[in-house]
Amino acid sequence: MRTLRKYGPLYVMMVPVVVYFLVYAYYPLVRGLQTSFQDYRLMGDRPYVGWSNYSAVLHDTSFQEALVNTFIIGGSILLIGFAAPLVVALSLNEVLQAWYKKLAQMVLYIPHLLSWVVIGGMWIFLLSPDNGLVNLLLVKAGLDQPVNFLADPGWARWIMILLAVWKDMGYNCILFLAGIMSINPSLYEAARMDGASRWQQVRFVTLPQLSSTMKVIFLLNTLGILRIFDEVFILRNPTTAPKVDVLMMYTFQKGMVDIQIGTAAAASFFVVLLTLALTLVVRWVTRFDEV
Amino acid sequence: MTMKKTWAALSALTLAGTLVLSACGGSGQNAAGGNASAGGNGSTGSGASSSGSGASASDKPAADMKLRILTANVGGKTPEENKQFEAEIKKLTGIDATLERPASDYDQKVLTALGSGEKYDLIEGSDLGKLAEFVDQGVVTDLTDFVKSSKVLSDPSVIPTSEWDQLKDKDGRIVAVFSKFQGGTMPIVRKDWLDKLHLQEPKTLDDYYNVLKAFKEQDPDGDGKADTYGLSTSGLYDIQGFMSAAGLKYRYVMKDGKRTIPYATEAAVPMYQWFAKLTKEGIMDPNFITNDTGKMRNLFLTDRVGIITYWDAWVGMFNSLKKQEDPNTSFQAEGITSAEGPGGTILMRRGDPDYWFIPANAEHPDAAKKFLEFWNTQPGIMLGSIGIEDVDYTKSGDTYTLTDTGKQHNMDHGVPFWYNQNVKPPFPGLPGVQEAQDLAKKYATLELALPGWSDAEKIVQNYALKAMAGQMDAEEAVKKMRDELFAKKLIDE
Repeated sequence: MRTLRKYGPLYVMMVPVVVYFLVYAYYPLVRGLQTSFQDYRLMGDRPYVGWSNYSAVLHDTSFQEALVNTFIIGGSILLIGFAAPLVVALSLNEVLQAWYKKLAQMVLYIPHLLSWVVIGGMWIFLLSPDNGLVNLLLVKAGLDQPVNFLADPGWARWIMILLAVWKDMGYNCILFLAGIMSINPSLYEAARMDGASRWQQVRFVTLPQLSSTMKVIFLLNTLGILRIFDEVFILRNPTTAPKVDVLMMYTFQKGMVDIQIGTAAAASFFVVLLTLALTLVVRWVTRFDEV
Repeated sequence: MTMKKTWAALSALTLAGTLVLSACGGSGQNAAGGNASAGGNGSTGSGASSSGSGASASDKPAADMKLRILTANVGGKTPEENKQFEAEIKKLTGIDATLERPASDYDQKVLTALGSGEKYDLIEGSDLGKLAEFVDQGVVTDLTDFVKSSKVLSDPSVIPTSEWDQLKDKDGRIVAVFSKFQGGTMPIVRKDWLDKLHLQEPKTLDDYYNVLKAFKEQDPDGDGKADTYGLSTSGLYDIQGFMSAAGLKYRYVMKDGKRTIPYATEAAVPMYQWFAKLTKEGIMDPNFITNDTGKMRNLFLTDRVGIITYWDAWVGMFNSLKKQEDPNTSFQAEGITSAEGPGGTILMRRGDPDYWFIPANAEHPDAAKKFLEFWNTQPGIMLGSIGIEDVDYTKSGDTYTLTDTGKQHNMDHGVPFWYNQNVKPPFPGLPGVQEAQDLAKKYATLELALPGWSDAEKIVQNYALKAMAGQMDAEEAVKKMRDELFAKKLIDE
């Protein structure tokens, strides 16, 4: 009671936040779970149908294809999107000219500020076989014919992966750089006194000291890999769809196009469960609790 | 420690779930409201709920009538003009109307509105497949008695009797009312390029090939560069004008009670090979797989392509837009017939009609019915076409004059064309549009989208476009297409 009196105002301050999450997070979650067990119609009766929506999703080959695509695309984005900014951050850290470092950070960060609509439109234009800059350069460099990157299933997944990595490179890079900046300079000084080279300083000081930041970024990125949607929605087309349609695209298709709301809700709960499982695995593998 | 892990797991579940579910929408409230559930009875196997009244809506007083409308096309072009549009409806009908016109993602807005139990009195639609789904979902009101008893809507000179078949559910009940007359798509050619290169209008597939090749190779725009294409398309429905040569109709065709998809038959192989040849020879716009219709239109308007296939109404729009840009332009778009098929038959595509339906949970169905009658009469048609008096046009006696605002709006506030033969257009049509419409009326037929078409379409598009682009052999593409369609039980033959 004494504690309650002491911290009462703080608890009161928490009320709006708790209410917000109850209304906008937990309530939809519960309603979504309920919907996944219903033969959901837009109006009228909505009888409960047990696990049939889940069964329909599991037996749907489109869902299976989407699951494979999600793991390939999302997994690649996770790995490359983790490694690439780390390498860039370590490289930038070695740059002595401050103006170059700042300029590089800014250039890398700009794509993160733009929406996928803008990014998608920009790259559709750049990759076009009809006067697209990339193809103009490739043809100038000696390629026989322009490559139809966005219509070629062979390129489809790579385009999704590389654009996603490129878009968020600057954001992750800044997080890594912030982590590097917080490393105690005396550690480097001690390493230098012990005769460590630049590479040895990176390997034995920077990377171990950066491990906490790396774990956080990896876990945050893991939470997002099954929710890829915007870029696929914007950049896909009928010829690349079998290679790039991901779980969220499947959910969107079932819910918003086919009006099978119950099936869509069941599919989305698979995403929830898979995300939970992935997160737990990543926490266990990275020993996240020791951060 | 255990508590910590449990809390972490719950947090992750909640976060992921919330984000995932945000794509699903639909809070799941029972949207049927006080009205009878549209399709919930299950005994009829259909979703159209009874209107409960066959009385003509025009017999009822408009005083105190309210109306909430969700629309994609109807209304003002700006939020301000939308308010003026509402005031004009009030002035002309006495109905206190609220018009909601989402800036984008209209279909999703309709779905989330219906799923969340929002109550609209009228909703505009433009997809018959979606209308059928709404019937199954118990969303729409049965309007059969209303239409039959309405002096306006039952008049064949207002809406031809046979047209109503489009808006009937599987039990023969009328479940929507036309919003406008919908034309068809067809090949649209640069007539000025044809004349410049001394070419005749193409009739057969060979004619088309020769014209397209000439447009690619003979510098029809005269800029000294080989930067023009013969043909650009956007999506498979835009190739109907050429698939006509093999007598192939898009989407489903019922044959002896069995579902077939002509684009997935052996007969389509030579057509895909024909397109692949166009692609290989650089005659086809290389972006045809990724094009949206806007990009296709832009290519046509910027002298980059000689033939596209698009809506009849756009023939006039193209000519008008270029004329506004340059009064001395030689640009001339012309709608032409599809390639002749076996026995000289010509297949063209008629678009799904735009329609209004009254949701089963509408709070003011009588006001909605009154509006539907008004919408098909002279004042309603004028409002939907040329717009608001003293904003889009002025009237002196029987003479109409478009204002600058009206000219910008191209006489389209949701009804560029209409059925009612008793209402004559106050202005002549845009150049070329009448001839194009005549072709559509003569040759264009509706496509049949049965349940499952959205799944089938993905398969058809995937392989057809690959074959057209030369990424896959046409025979192999058709074989795989058929195998997949059979495997997913999407065709019977």
